[in-house]
Order: sequence, then C-alpha cells, then structure tokens
Amino acid sequence: MNPYYELPQDEAGYSFGFLDEYAKREVRRNILKAICIPGYQTPYASREMPMGRGFGTGGLQLTLSLVGRGDTLKVIDQGADDSVNAVNLRHFLELTCPGVDTTEQTQEATLIQSRHRIPERQLTNAQVLVLQVPYPDPLVVVEPSESRRKIMHGEGDYSRLLTKLYEDIVRFDEITISHRYPTRINGHYVLDPSPIPRFDIPKLNQSSALTLFGAGREKKIYAVPPYTNAEPLVFDDIAFRTEDFTDEQGVRRSCHRCGATDSFLDEFNRDDGVRIYQCSDSDYCNQRIAVHMLSAGEGAL
Amino acid sequence: MGYVAIKGGGVAIKGSLEALEALRAAEGERGVPLSLSAIENQLRLLTSRIVSEGGLYHPRLAALAIKQTQGDTLEAAFALRAYRSTKPRLTSTPVQETSRMRVIRRISSAFKDIPGGQMLGPTYDYALRLMRIDLADESPEVFRAIAAKFMADTPVDTLPETYPKVVEALRKDGLLPDAPDHNIEPFDITREPLIFPIPRSAVLSSMARAETGSLLALAYSNMRGYGDVHPTIAELRVGYLPVLLPHPVTGEVIEAGEVLITECEVVAMYESDDNKGKPVFTLGYGACFGHNETKAISMAVLDRALQKGMKEGPTNPSEDPEFVVLHVDGVDSMGFANHYKMPHYVTFQSDMDRLRTTQAKAEQKKGSQ
Amino acid sequence: MNTDLNSKALASVWAPAAQQLFFRKLMTAFSFPGCIETMTPEIQNKDFSVLRMILATLTDGEVTVADPHHMIDDHDWSKLETNRETPEKARFIVARGDIAPMFSPGLGSLECPEMGATIILRVEHLGRGEPLVLRGPGIQSEKEVDCSGLGAAWLCKRQEWNGAFPLGVDMILFDTSQVVALPRTTLITTKEGK
Repeated sequence: MNPYYELPQDEAGYSFGFLDEYAKREVRRNILKAICIPGYQTPYASREMPMGRGFGTGGLQLTLSLVGRGDTLKVIDQGADDSVNAVNLRHFLELTCPGVDTTEQTQEATLIQSRHRIPERQLTNAQVLVLQVPYPDPLVVVEPSESRRKIMHGEGDYSRLLTKLYEDIVRFDEITISHRYPTRINGHYVLDPSPIPRFDIPKLNQSSALTLFGAGREKKIYAVPPYTNAEPLVFDDIAFRTEDFTDEQGVRRSCHRCGATDSFLDEFNRDDGVRIYQCSDSDYCNQRIAVHMLSAGEGAL
Repeated sequence: MGYVAIKGGGVAIKGSLEALEALRAAEGERGVPLSLSAIENQLRLLTSRIVSEGGLYHPRLAALAIKQTQGDTLEAAFALRAYRSTKPRLTSTPVQETSRMRVIRRISSAFKDIPGGQMLGPTYDYALRLMRIDLADESPEVFRAIAAKFMADTPVDTLPETYPKVVEALRKDGLLPDAPDHNIEPFDITREPLIFPIPRSAVLSSMARAETGSLLALAYSNMRGYGDVHPTIAELRVGYLPVLLPHPVTGEVIEAGEVLITECEVVAMYESDDNKGKPVFTLGYGACFGHNETKAISMAVLDRALQKGMKEGPTNPSEDPEFVVLHVDGVDSMGFANHYKMPHYVTFQSDMDRLRTTQAKAEQKKGSQ
Repeated sequence: MNTDLNSKALASVWAPAAQQLFFRKLMTAFSFPGCIETMTPEIQNKDFSVLRMILATLTDGEVTVADPHHMIDDHDWSKLETNRETPEKARFIVARGDIAPMFSPGLGSLECPEMGATIILRVEHLGRGEPLVLRGPGIQSEKEVDCSGLGAAWLCKRQEWNGAFPLGVDMILFDTSQVVALPRTTLITTKEGK
C-alpha cells in the first residue's frame, strides 16, 4: 500500500440526498410499479444507510429518492416528532438535503416519514406518507419459503393465513394480532401494514394520500394508492376491533394534556405512581392545545 | 428555511455524541490522536477485516472507520458499507485469475511440498501465544528500524512473483472435477434482492463480505460434527491480485491497481460426479479482501457444505443456504439486534390492549362456569 | 434563494434536480390516473422533450428499452446508457399511439408481476379529443380524460394484456408538454360505454 496516499477529501463528499442517482432511479422505478400493483411487495436492491437496519433504512431510501427543494418534510416515530429515532432521521435528512424544509405540523408537510403510526389529522392528496416496515410479508407466519409465498400472493390465496386467524379465535375467542394487522388492498394483495396499531388501519382505506411502505432489511417496497380499498382481514361473525381506550366505567379515556377523546393514547406511569394517558401524536396534541389557548384567550378578552 | 427546533430527544442525542467523543479522547493531556497510517499498518489485520466486511477496498477509509468507531468492528464495517452505498457503479471487471497474485504467503496442507514451495510468510500460526511485555513500552527508534532491517536482510531477487495453483495439479491428475465455466454472469447481491433458491455466486459474494465471527461459528459447527466436510486445505494464499479491466476508451486490458486478498481452496470428501463418471474430490472455495485466513477457511468449508445442501437438501444448519446466507451479514444482523433498543411503546400499547381483552374474556369464561 | 442557479440546475433533463421534480409528477400521475401533469416552464429549453425527460428519469444501464417505432435518436441512446431490447422482452417500450401495436409486451408473472412492461406512448393531445372514462385505485369514483391520437387498437390490446391481474402492462401517455399515467389497475371505458 502506497505510504504517501492521502485520503481524497473531495471524494468523501456526499451527493444531494446521500444516494447516488442510479440508486434513486431504481427506487423510483419500483415505486411506480408498486403503485400499479397495490399491496404487492416489489423487490429492490436496498442500499446500506448510515443508520442500522431496523432503524428505518427502507423508509429513508424512499424519502431520499422522493425529496427535493420545495418539499417540507415531517418525520415521526411512535407519533412523536421528538422521539430519538425521528430526531436522528430528521437530522440526517437536513444534512443531506439542503434546501428542504422540515416541520412538525402535519398539514404543512408534503412528505411524511413515520414509524409505527399514521398521523391523526387526515392527509390530503398533496401529501405522501412513507411508513417504515420491519417485516413486509404477512404470510411469513404460515410459509417459510419465499418462492411459495410469492405464488400465494399472486393467486390471492390467503386461506392458510385465515386459518391461522381462526385458530386464534378458537383458542382465545379473539383475534390476538395487535399491530401489523393483515390488510387486503383493492381486493387482492394482503399486506403487512407495518407495526401501526389497529387503530390506524381504517386511515389507509380510501385515503386521499398515497401511502408508501419501505422495508430496508427485507428489500421490499409496496404501496396503497389513494382512494383504494384497504380492508383488514376479518370473519363475518368476528368484528375488526381497534384498541380499546375505555375505562372501568366504560367511558372513553381522554388525553390528560389536550382532552382529546378521538386519538391513540400512550399509557405510562408518572413519577408519583399515577397512570396517565396522552396523545401519541404529539403534533395533534400540541395543535389542540394551541387552539384551546387561542379560544380561551379570546373568551377572556 | 424552516427547521424543527431541537428539543428533548435532540438534546439527548447531542449529549450522547459528546460523551462518545469525550471517551475517545479520555487520555486528555497525555493523549496522541491515532494516525490513519498507524491504524492501517500497526492494526493491519483489523483493517483487513473492516475492508472485507465493509465490502469496499479502501484500507485508508477502513482505518478512518476504525478510528471513529473506537474499534467496534461491527460499527466500523457498517460505516464503510454505508459509504460504499454512495459510490456509483461504473463497470464490472472480467474474471480475475488468482494465479496472477503477487504472493506474500502460500501453503498447502494436502502435500508435504508443492511446486514453488511452501512459503510460510507472515503468520501467527507458529508463534507462541505469550504476552510480549517488551511491546508495553516500545521505543520509537527501535520501532522505526525494524522494517528497514527486514528489507535489507531479505534477498528479494530470488522470490518468484507468482506461483502455480495446487488445484490445477489435482485437476490434471483427474482427482478434482474440471474447472467451472467462467462465462456465467455472477449474481449481483448489491443490485438484486436474494430470492431463494440462489446460485452459488450469490452465496460466495454474500460470504465474501460477511462478518468473520458469524462465518466462523457456522463453519465450526460443520467441522465439529453438524456436517461432514472434513476439509484438507489444498492451498491457502495471501497476496496482491492485480485488477485488470478494459480501458474505457481503447478497450485494451490494463492494470488498474492491485488488491490484497486471501484465498483458500479446500478439498473435501469425494463423491461421484454428476455424469456418473468416476468419483472425484469435492472443492470448497473461500476468498475475501485483506489478510483474513480464518474467514477464508470458514468460507471454503461453508461453500462446500452449502453446495452439498443445495444439491441434496440440507441435513444441518451449515448446509442450509437460507440459514447461512441470511444470518452472516454483520451490518444486517447488528443493525437489527440493536434496533430493539428503539422505542416500541405504541406496538407495546397495542399488545397490552390485546392481552387485557383476552384476560378479560378468560375471566368472564371462568366466572360463568 | 438564487433563482438563476435554480433554473440552471433544472435546465437539462440530465440534471438530478430536474429528474426529481419530474419523477414527482410521474408519481402523482400514477397515484391519480387520468390527472394530467404538465411540464413546468423552467424545464422547457430547446433541447427538451417530454419523451427524453421520461427516459432520463426512469431508464439506465439496469433496465432494457424497446423502440419499435424509432422514436429515440442515437445521441439519446448513448446518454441514457440503457440497453436495447425487443418489445417482447423489454421493461420499457416507447411507441406511437397512432400506430397499432404489433408486439406482445411482457406481462410479468404471478411471482413477479412487476416485470410487466411500462409502455411510454406518444399521443397527439391530452385534454382534447375522445373522452376516456376511468375507474379504479387512485380515482374517487370516476375520472374523465380526453385524448386524441390514441388508436382504438391500443385500448383493445390493453384490455387483453391486463385481463388477468396481477399480470399486465402500465402506461404513460405523453404529448408535447403533458403526461397521463394508466396503471394496469385502471379500468377504461369510452363514452359510448365499450
């Protein structure tokens, strides 16, 4: 090895959006095919990113291939803009995409990258939602071979998955799947909607916004186009149940910060041992408080 | 320009990065920053490992990765692999002949002597693993004189540049099957996702940048009895392979440079060949960037085990391509192992909801009995 | 922000910034089939063509392109760095909407439906001509888009090619300044109800 070899400083510079243009082009081609085949897991050559597999590299590659000047980006994790993973990803995007604005306010964003939640506020047809996916294939629980799973998906044959759900009901009287609830898109492909709670599944159905799913480690991209049916797998006599936030008296719990009774609530114990409930969607909560303070102020005038 | 203000999570991350840097510089007044050259040379084998696991031949950058990650091999390989992601594909080289290698070490366990000779070269194989206390307080003057004295004492002219491949002799004798066709297009693991069953080229390229410890554990399982490769090393060679490729304008083949690689060919149990001709030995192949013999040997053993598994069906984990290939990449595995530290409270909330509902139902059932 | 720099950055179809912007339009077009997406004025210099923009954005050495109606010039072939292929095997096919298709494009397979070709089709005018009535994903109930220069043979063939979902082809229609996308999931009827 040449002892006088210097590190090429100019080489070490990163291009806009970190990924090279070939990588972006490949992701873009696959995004279009994913939209054309709703719910189908399109394979792609997922690149390594500077954060670990499992930290959202799939969602990130989608965002990096989409984003440009003029975009306003929102990044959330568990519904919160301030969660460490969201902070980290947002910082990376700010570093590699100069000229792109970031925001916490859902309605200001053109592009939203999220882990494990869909924002409470309804999205518009000018917005795109990118969800981070650890396990793209709902059939993995019933079939270990990928080539056999692909045929089952192609034929729309989910009988073994339905049998598994039925076994749950026989054992527990309930479908015990909590998050990642298998959902059928446009009457054909069943997808894993990523670890969003059941509470968020209805938001996928006939949404005005395009929803994209990126699995970095498993190297898959899939999509639910706007105005498309997204139906959780159920049986005629067992209803699809979202998370239950009612207390012992049967009253729907509210957020202790903003009073909302229509949002997904985080539950935790305060230092003094009291159990409290708070909106998981921090922006939704903050905006409700801002509105309340505004109207309280007006009332006082 | 609108940016989100830094709050709690951001402050914590900033603090953690500062704490890392403080630990890296903990020597304080007595500290001397590590030079990249010192890492590349004095920690040569560590650098080799990172070059190989990062999947990018750039020893100087590998040294930088080691420095910035404070010696964590998984993190360092990760940093180099992520950097590699940003490099565009310009071209592919034609097949490179390792017989052209400028050898620094070359041995065979299958034969007492081989054409060209057993060249021990730089190895710890026969070093006694005793602590060298003299290195605890090494004099810079003594250190600087070592390499010069070695070069002065070595008769350079008598060493041949290249050596014939031992497997060629075995092939000529009809003990090994003919060399495989080199004109097949190798599977590109950096462009195509792995969809099983995969070709042997996908297995080999996945292992070439796999994590050394992961490969070693699985190969060891085969050696110990969860498998029956029973390898003999036909040849292990370490050296500088010239990288030949066509000139972008003239098309003439030129040498772009050379890369340090380790190559290991093991001969294993014999089997009848596919055409029901006479039985021959089977071959396992391993090769990686840098000087890493444990990795090359492990790769060769696993290559043989997986070829058997792909042909006859796996009877052990080390023979199962899906089991081996999907779990040996250090960047994938460490990323996912560490991601469990990220917040998972929404999914946990959802799990609690299901459990409580199911518990309530069970209570109800009990109550009504 | 320096608008001069911006327009320089966008002026060429080969510029990454231009391809990013154009891709977003394509993605919107596929998300909302029938919606007409228009090129912005900054990107229209004398070397610009919608076809070149589509190809520069979507193709490179990793894919194959068929050009049965000779619509791509030699200079563009070399700049695209892409691979020529027959229409039966190509991932992308460039064709004229006024010439009936004489080939059978790849439709993908049950395991790999994404291998169905993307047909990039030149039409005379989007927004004028015969009305097409569209239904399916991306459309709230029904969407009407007018198009001239699209032969009936194309609609006939498309129906045949897309008859067995998930197999099928996806289309991008373009004129001198606009694009419309028709994913395989879009059901097309003409105003007469055919």
